[in-house]
Amino acid sequence: MRISELTWVFALVGLLGAGSVQAETLSNKQLIATLGQVAHGVPEVDPGVLAQEVAANVGKGAAALPTWSQLAALSQIDVDIQFELNSVAIVPESYRSVGVIADALHHPILRAHKFLIVGHTDSTGKPEANLELSQARADAIRDALSTTFAIAPDRLFAVGVGQEMPLNASNPKDPANRRVQLINIGWVK
Amino acid sequence: MQRKRSLVASLALMALLVGVGSPRAETISFADAVSTLAHACGADIKKHCKGVNLANNGIQQCLNKHQAAVSPTCTSTMVEVTASIQQRLAAQAAVTEVCRHDGAQLCKGVKPGEAHLLGCLLKASEVVGDKCNQAITDAGWR
Repeated sequence: MRISELTWVFALVGLLGAGSVQAETLSNKQLIATLGQVAHGVPEVDPGVLAQEVAANVGKGAAALPTWSQLAALSQIDVDIQFELNSVAIVPESYRSVGVIADALHHPILRAHKFLIVGHTDSTGKPEANLELSQARADAIRDALSTTFAIAPDRLFAVGVGQEMPLNASNPKDPANRRVQLINIGWVK
Repeated sequence: MQRKRSLVASLALMALLVGVGSPRAETISFADAVSTLAHACGADIKKHCKGVNLANNGIQQCLNKHQAAVSPTCTSTMVEVTASIQQRLAAQAAVTEVCRHDGAQLCKGVKPGEAHLLGCLLKASEVVGDKCNQAITDAGWR
């Protein structure tokens, strides 16, 4: 097995091991270890195209869309960040999770990387409203990271996908579907 | 030796708790800083700052606006947390300069990039200068 293949296997193990992480167990070392595994030859993802694709396919699912389907190959982790009901305000109980992300993103191993913040909802409510709310919440996390924690804004990209990519597809209303994905989308140019 | 080490650790912990020495060299992680904020101000935030996000100084401004109703512990914690976030940012920004000499001496063949340099300095910590070692600790990168 060549070294590049070995790296790839590690990256996949990292992905498979990346479940939804509860606030009390999430550590910045875990984030650095998972998000720092960058496989070679991964696709370049344009966050603007992601938003366009999902907006044009509301209610039809996003996982199979051309650009969204490429995300699966990238280093990523799911983080549990809770918001007030129908609001973009992160609840105080989840401040720690945002702080942990800030600790990881300021570490030299990740400091030269760009990240995509993807907001997901469950299927309660209208798909269009869910898409809008998830975008606003992803924006809120980006703003918290870039202002409160001084992460360079050009490293952060926020996109909402609403209810279109449930973690538990057999039960779209499962609260586990409400989550935030943090995805390494490559080096800062 | 073990006992001496644990004594030193206890003293260091006490100093940290009591806040001995000013300005304090110790910095805390962003996660610990905002956990402290959530603990001291969570109830006030939920009561007075509904819909306000932890961004663009929103929480700070909201708590200031409602200062009369906000618990004194929360008011003082907010100030401390804001300062400790700035301290950690400053500590991280200082590492490159403080460790420049150690890096040039001890990490000559290392691949370019901050992460590789840090990896080298961490491995060489026994011969790295005290100031650089302290800077790495203060940055939270150990």
